[in-house]
Amino acid sequence: MGKTILCHCEDVEVEEVYSALEQGFADLETLRRYTGIGTGKCQGKCCLVQTLRILASLARTNAAETKPLTGDPLLIHLPTIRPPVLPLRIADIVEAGETAVAHDKPRIEEERS
Amino acid sequence: MTRRADVLIIGGGVNGLGCAYNLARRGVENIVVIERGYIGAGASGRCGAGIRQLWGMEENVILARESVKIYERLSGELRFNIFFRQGGYLMLVFDEREHELVSKTIPVQNRLGVPTRLLTGSEITEIAPGINLDGVLAAAYCPKGGVAYPYAVLWGYAEAARRLGVEIRVHTRVTHAARRDDGTYGVSTEKGDFIAPTIVNVAGARTKDIAAMIGIDIPTKPVRHEIAVTESLKPFLKPMVISLKKGFYFSQSLRGEIVGGIGDPNEPSSYYTGSSPDFLFRYARALRETFPPLGKARFIRQWAGLYDMSPDARPILGTVEGYEGYYHACGFSGHGFMISPMITKLLAELITTGKTSMPIDTLDLTRFAKGALTRDPYVVG
Repeated sequence: MGKTILCHCEDVEVEEVYSALEQGFADLETLRRYTGIGTGKCQGKCCLVQTLRILASLARTNAAETKPLTGDPLLIHLPTIRPPVLPLRIADIVEAGETAVAHDKPRIEEERS
Repeated sequence: MTRRADVLIIGGGVNGLGCAYNLARRGVENIVVIERGYIGAGASGRCGAGIRQLWGMEENVILARESVKIYERLSGELRFNIFFRQGGYLMLVFDEREHELVSKTIPVQNRLGVPTRLLTGSEITEIAPGINLDGVLAAAYCPKGGVAYPYAVLWGYAEAARRLGVEIRVHTRVTHAARRDDGTYGVSTEKGDFIAPTIVNVAGARTKDIAAMIGIDIPTKPVRHEIAVTESLKPFLKPMVISLKKGFYFSQSLRGEIVGGIGDPNEPSSYYTGSSPDFLFRYARALRETFPPLGKARFIRQWAGLYDMSPDARPILGTVEGYEGYYHACGFSGHGFMISPMITKLLAELITTGKTSMPIDTLDLTRFAKGALTRDPYVVG
């Protein structure tokens, strides 16, 4: 059988994800930092949901067994969504910042997580 | 069910895991580390990962120098590649005040064995080809500085600690902590209770919250700092480039991305770690000014983490009178990762022998009540 690419931006195969899971890099936050999935130009728009599907099916089988995998369904969610939505050119940001009217920064005193 | 440990470490960041590893290597058994999120979910995993020896105070120069020595051998010692790349540190000097500061502190660094030197003009462009020298008077350069991959450091510590018998529990948030009548410490979490005679509070910006539960007042404040990363570019930049005056820093990772940020003196204290467009505008301007060709590069992600700011921007390390068995390390004010190897070595020495191989009394919590604080002028952002 040929290779199955999970993350096209960073060229990560499905097998590499399973191997990382076996080594204990078990939640998505850790998995993406270990394998690189979802850290490329599309920031996971193509691969992270597929990865969640793998985690979900493993959590189901591992709830009975006790493998070093995260069996907690509450941990199966996307990482924090961060800007920019699409890659932004630095020169364009500089220009936008210079033409923007003076903006107030939000002042948020309490934790939001 | 209550888990009894010999040493309970609160915080699964570079200090918590490094401390666990160093204690286990010294033969301490039954160590448990608890972490509220995943390993590195706090500041350790969000930092710029610069490892710099350019400091103004001797105490920081020595902590950094010793930490670099440890980082240099850590991949082999942990049997885990931490991706420590010593491309050097290049501190740009923009005005006379800064020039005076570096001229005064470089001899101090040299005397302590840190090979910093002052560069001008083409000497700077040799180290960082393509850099814009408009307004740059000089640059302090230390070839031994560098960058590591923070997660690799954390995973390396965690795996080595586990091999030595340390138990690491992630997604285990502390809800309550107190000293018990018998002098041990009781810690409740969302996933069970812990009791230990020795507790190490290294929870980053939340160290003071844990301390407050126990009855100890730590005057640190969480302050958000933002970072952004570009797409991968062909390798062109070896050193970490920083400016004290403008508050920025950036380096090129081994994957080719430019990773860096810029401070905001008006940032209020909070636990908020969202992203702002204001940061992106200011950082983009600083990047393009310093490296004009970077105008064509694209940002792919920004994020934020918390500095645990102490009143003098220096760490708080050691014990607290009246709380036997309690240890803490916090208040790293944005430079915790770079001095962590030495900090955790000292913590392990202190816990196992009651002594440390370098004096740490200047980092004691009691200094704030005494007044007359000294701040290191080399704090960026």
